[in-house]
Amino acid sequence: MTSINTPIMPTWCPGCYNFQILAGVKKVLNEKIKTEEDKENWAIVAGIGCHAKIFDYLNLNGINTLHGRVLPTCLGMKIANPKLNVLGFSGDGDAYAEGMEHLIHMARYNSDIKYFVHNNQVFALTTGQPTPTTEVGFKDKTTPLGVKISPINSIKLMLASGASFVARVYSDIRQIEYVFKEALKHKGFAFIEVLTPCLIFHNQNYKDKIYSLGEGGHDKYSFEEAWKKAEEFGYNAIDDKTKIPIGIFYQTEKPVFEEVVRK
Amino acid sequence: MFKYVTIFSENMRINILFGGKAGQGPNIITHILGQALVKQGYYVFYSRDYQSLIRGGHNFNVLTASDEPVYSNDFKIDIIIALDENTEKIHEKELKENGIILKGKYKNMHFAGRVFKILGLDFNLLKEELEKLSGFEDNLKEAKNGYESEEKKVRLDKTEKKELSFMNGSQGISEGAIKSGLDIYYSYPMTPATPVLSELAGKQEVENILVLELENEIAVVNAGVGSSIVGAKVMVGTSGGGFDLMTEGLSLCGGAEVPLVFYLAQRPGPSTGVATYTSQGDLKMALNAGHGEFPRMVVAPGDPMEAQELTSHAFYFSQKFKIPCIILSDKHLAESFYTIKEKPIITKSEKTTKLIRYNSYEQDETGAATESPGIINKNIADRLKKISEIEREASNFEMYEVYGNERSKNVIISWGSTKGAILDSIRDLDVCFLQIKYLEPFPKEIKKYLNGKNLILVENNSTGQLADIIREKTGVLIEDDKRILKADGRPFLADELRKEIEGRLK
Repeated sequence: MTSINTPIMPTWCPGCYNFQILAGVKKVLNEKIKTEEDKENWAIVAGIGCHAKIFDYLNLNGINTLHGRVLPTCLGMKIANPKLNVLGFSGDGDAYAEGMEHLIHMARYNSDIKYFVHNNQVFALTTGQPTPTTEVGFKDKTTPLGVKISPINSIKLMLASGASFVARVYSDIRQIEYVFKEALKHKGFAFIEVLTPCLIFHNQNYKDKIYSLGEGGHDKYSFEEAWKKAEEFGYNAIDDKTKIPIGIFYQTEKPVFEEVVRK
Repeated sequence: MFKYVTIFSENMRINILFGGKAGQGPNIITHILGQALVKQGYYVFYSRDYQSLIRGGHNFNVLTASDEPVYSNDFKIDIIIALDENTEKIHEKELKENGIILKGKYKNMHFAGRVFKILGLDFNLLKEELEKLSGFEDNLKEAKNGYESEEKKVRLDKTEKKELSFMNGSQGISEGAIKSGLDIYYSYPMTPATPVLSELAGKQEVENILVLELENEIAVVNAGVGSSIVGAKVMVGTSGGGFDLMTEGLSLCGGAEVPLVFYLAQRPGPSTGVATYTSQGDLKMALNAGHGEFPRMVVAPGDPMEAQELTSHAFYFSQKFKIPCIILSDKHLAESFYTIKEKPIITKSEKTTKLIRYNSYEQDETGAATESPGIINKNIADRLKKISEIEREASNFEMYEVYGNERSKNVIISWGSTKGAILDSIRDLDVCFLQIKYLEPFPKEIKKYLNGKNLILVENNSTGQLADIIREKTGVLIEDDKRILKADGRPFLADELRKEIEGRLK
């Protein structure tokens, strides 16, 4: 029987929200992959950081590549074999710090890649330094005076860069399942940010702050609506008034890189 | 009337300098004359000296022709074609005593006509070349006026027509890559690697290859890794600064066993250096770039034919051993045109890679990351074993060339594009010339040519990097005063180099 499990015992912390992402991704993949032949059509690329351990827990071909370089690696795989379903996994350090240039250009290229950013707003595997999405005032051993610079709003960044599918979910198995399935139906680059609290270094629990865009009647085909919704949460410290929209912000049709360049 | 005759049998070679502002078109007339002479069976070499600007400034090409093989220019010039006043001012000192200067406010094709006439070449030869260009009618008129205004002043020795090809190093690299089954070339524009990018891009439809420019060299190398691990044959191309950015990816190839060919066209560093000039300053970088210890290959062609052959070797070794292979070129080789008589021997390579589980971490047999000392030690042993297997395989190839008198007490040693000026400068000297083509793995057996000899090093850098490598690999020392080094971005000129060599002979 075909299995996408590996025998490796996960080394994420007990209760880590990354388990939710792994479970959600596996649930969808188990529906898609029934035979060894099916499995050959899927590939996984992960970067460096806690998120990347997912590579060891999913028995798919691919590469656990360099920090920040998930997207160009995915692009190279997809161009060389457009039939391959390529899944990319990054952390916020990977996506928004070390590999920022690739993220912006991937939104422009629109290669048919499904990309998960495990955003825990901290460099966790290097023991807790701030990333570009860490809130102002955050302190750790390397920033004892506190973070002074405002975080990046990754949703606005992706909208401005021309991404054709922009989503944000909370690290919950059902939300991952939902958004992954929607992303697979989308032709082109799917940007999925997963708010993934880090129990040890950035335990900001957003559970009470989130609300569903879909249930609120959001028009995901309207860029203006998407932009307004993106502005509701700026990744800074939460307070009583904070509301975090979750779901698909924006979706549109755009030419797909590997189809255009191979013509 | 001024009478001037250059005869090959007396002077061996004729040197013609074409100078002007960028945009005046000194390049195209150099190429036209070169093509026409090659068609007649002459050997032609021309180099380009151009500044990092688009319009204006001072650019010049020097074309050297002979009825014998020629691979370099001389300092002393027979004919100067001055498309602007500056050219005459700058190059007057290089003109031979009876040299000719062509000047005046004319378009470039007027000068083409004049130089064809001076050399006694049939006008139809020029016409054939003009037919390949746009603006044929205008060019033809200009050329005809020029041709008719001159008289024959130079007598070229007759030569037989032969099958000769005329190409630059960039075309050699591109041909080699295509013949090796290249699927994808990734690059980010950087002089002097860009000509390979445009050469391959121009052929992508005919040859069914993909040529892609990505956002930077980091994207280039990592996309290269992505394509390679799903089974494509991939080459990436850049110059020094861009290669710096690629080095983490190079190390990834070494650790994760990813075949990838790197085309590294050198220009003077450090830093941005001198963008449009030549250098051999990146040898040690190519040998040592990337963190950690891993197998790699570094080859350095000395002319466009070797560029084709060694590019095919790079693909062969990268596929067979799943390693990164670096082809070291430089601006002088990349952009100079050479006349080639022989046909290259291309080494075919099988595709060896398919999508499995790769890892940038030290990995176990399932492709998962590991910290186990047992597995780490096994992986290290595998990499070291691979290094010795590559050495063994490389010994089946010509890792170096020996020219001249093998038993001479004088041995000149060099690598890469300096080959041309060296061959031209030593024709009738009692010397042996050792050209190293494989820098990694290194042909240690060259020691037998070095022991007890008067060793002379020629390199386009300021420290003599090859001498250090030879010292490391063979224990043989090349004395400081025996190192002929030039690092101002300009290539060696045969007549000048000859004097330098003669002063060091025993």
